[in-house]
Amino acid sequence: MADPAAAPLNVSSWARETACANLFSLSTATSPLDVLTAWTTASESVAAVSLDLRKAMPGRAVTLTVELPKPRLKVQSFRFPEAVAATLSKLDFPIPSGVGFAADAAAAVPLRQVTRLRPPADIVKLEDRLYYLLQPSLEAVLREGSLGIPFQPFSYQMEGIAFLYPRFAAVLADEMGLGKTMQAITAVRLLIHAGELRSVLLVCPKPLVSNWRREFSQWAPELPITIIEGDQAKRRWQWQSVESPIKIANYEVLQRDRSQALDVGGSFDLVILDEAQRIKNRSGATSQTVREIPRRRSWALTGTPVENSAEDLVGIFEFLAPGLLSAEMKPRAMGRTAAEYILRRTKDKVLTELPPKTFRDAEVELSAMQRESYQLAEEEGIVRLTSLADAATIQHVFELVLRLKQICNFDPATGDSSKYERLEADLEEVAASGRKAIVFSQWVSTLQTLSERLRRFQPLEYHGQVPTGKRDGVIEEFRNNSQRHVMLISYGAGGVGLNLQFAEYVFLFDRWWNPAVEDQAINRAHRIGAAGPVTVTRFLALDTIEQRIDQVLREKRELFDTIFSDAEPQRALGLTHQEIFGLFKLQCPSGPVRLAA
Amino acid sequence: MAQRDSKSPQQPMLGFLTVLEHEQHGLTGGYLLLTTTGRPLEFHCTAPVKPSRAQQILFGPTLAPYLYGEHIGQTLVMKGSALPVILFTDVAPALAVGQFVEAPVVMVLSTTGREKRAEPTGLQLFCAGQNHLAIPASESRERIAAQLESLADFDCLEPFGRIREAIEEAQRGGSAKAA
Repeated sequence: MADPAAAPLNVSSWARETACANLFSLSTATSPLDVLTAWTTASESVAAVSLDLRKAMPGRAVTLTVELPKPRLKVQSFRFPEAVAATLSKLDFPIPSGVGFAADAAAAVPLRQVTRLRPPADIVKLEDRLYYLLQPSLEAVLREGSLGIPFQPFSYQMEGIAFLYPRFAAVLADEMGLGKTMQAITAVRLLIHAGELRSVLLVCPKPLVSNWRREFSQWAPELPITIIEGDQAKRRWQWQSVESPIKIANYEVLQRDRSQALDVGGSFDLVILDEAQRIKNRSGATSQTVREIPRRRSWALTGTPVENSAEDLVGIFEFLAPGLLSAEMKPRAMGRTAAEYILRRTKDKVLTELPPKTFRDAEVELSAMQRESYQLAEEEGIVRLTSLADAATIQHVFELVLRLKQICNFDPATGDSSKYERLEADLEEVAASGRKAIVFSQWVSTLQTLSERLRRFQPLEYHGQVPTGKRDGVIEEFRNNSQRHVMLISYGAGGVGLNLQFAEYVFLFDRWWNPAVEDQAINRAHRIGAAGPVTVTRFLALDTIEQRIDQVLREKRELFDTIFSDAEPQRALGLTHQEIFGLFKLQCPSGPVRLAA
Repeated sequence: MAQRDSKSPQQPMLGFLTVLEHEQHGLTGGYLLLTTTGRPLEFHCTAPVKPSRAQQILFGPTLAPYLYGEHIGQTLVMKGSALPVILFTDVAPALAVGQFVEAPVVMVLSTTGREKRAEPTGLQLFCAGQNHLAIPASESRERIAAQLESLADFDCLEPFGRIREAIEEAQRGGSAKAA
């Protein structure tokens, strides 16, 4: 090794040239070699300066003073002024006195649970992504100040709220009964308190308006809401009002007040469509109106995003993110594209604590009189369809189907009904055990016949011929009167929005075309709060059109599973003209066509 | 003491400072300013810093406090629009930032986290609410008692998780820009 004192030594000049520096003084009285070794290591790859150590006297201290630079440090900074506004006192509307949760409402917020916001993929600006990532957990926010929550939510519900919160386009497609309403309300509530929402429009079916009002008062009692209703002058004033941050309108009112809804003096911060399958038909007037509403965020709530065909989902996405989906996409591709925007959970996955749901297929043989009427009607119908040849339409087929299904319920000539006999026997058991049952049919006339024959059970009726103003009373009577064991409900009036979790038996007296509608009906009883197992009895008249339709329903379930799971499609999906005519073993007169609900 | 920040907070803010160590890229600092209810007001993060061989040799055991506390910590705190009423960190070397800022610096300990593996020494350990905390022996607990009392229900460890996620997101989002 060369003697470092024997020759000039090259050391770094980078430190000396730096104006802004830390000073390090290293000294040694005996071993300049150590210092020099350090310096040679430190300055391996930089320009050199000369330091002549030959002048150093042996045995005398050598002091080296070297400046070390303080390297620049790059910093990226983000500021979030929104947090400053995120206090109750900054809200733009007065909070009515005396409303809010009890002082211990924060106690309902789960302590050990931490649900964090995650920025969705379509938020690309880093600052915006960090804004959501850096938010406190939802539980922490709900514990904050005067917020609170009345009941402890399920963890999947907190995840649903976290899903909605940062999204500008979202479909909450949870299975019925999982609490979509609560999740949407809480997400809206948190966004309002965070200063991110000031005007919200919620559109729902008319029968559900009172349900939404009730749910808002339960989950967000401090938020004033305006129900758009009353005469034209009142509604005009309500559309323009800024007194409350939330407006609720039913679809019919929205359509009637289209021009006012589209001209509210700016845009809504958020528009929520409940039962969003109402806009599955893109060319429908409702769909067109909601798409024109000026808005920043769009959410859709539906337990049945696909009722009949994949085009249903395309219709909903025309409201959420126009052009993202197209009817030409294959179901799997559509599912992948839409996945970022859709959150769907099913009860069997998230509600392990929910009582089980048991299906019984009540397959009945038609009575002799029913069979005779059925065969006659079918033969006549097929003869007619055959004679129509190429002039036969789907409508002609539907008419025959409906006629045959009605005979499966009750023989029009004699009133005979194998289904009724089975139902009556089952209801005996239900009533004797003090339980409650709901019976669904697609026909009011069938329900009225059942009501007459089941009189000894004091059945209640809930269908289109029951005035809207009396319907809540019917539900309350069924809930509270222990002598009322049976409620007869039409799919149309009672399929959505009703909370009948105190009923433990569901009877589907006849089957709907659409399995999603059946699911809606079943989940009136099988939902959060259900006291015990729910038994679903599906009536099916053997060797009839009902059995053939049952096969159609199974195929529709396959379509749904293909879009909302990664499973490979098992077979070609969708209903063709040929398949519809095939119900009667007839040849279709023209090409493929979609089946309406 | 080096530079002192003369900025005064418009509303009480809590500061959270951490440094992430990556085997290849080195150290990345993150600094989060929160309202006392936990909402984010500001976030600052550094580009990765890798000590040179020279620094490692010349700083010796003082390298970590220098990098965490002075080089990264002080730089980040100075980027804030105001000083926090209290500055939390979850890494012991960052306590050195206390030499450069007026706010009291408190280390948050977890029983399962990385601090456990590198148990800090020469610190006063104590509990405040649900939080296990440590301050340098030279620090007065009375100085921070009032602030800690109002934070009894605040989980002081939780914001560090946010910082780590934000740093990862920022690093995915591109190289850091000079502020």
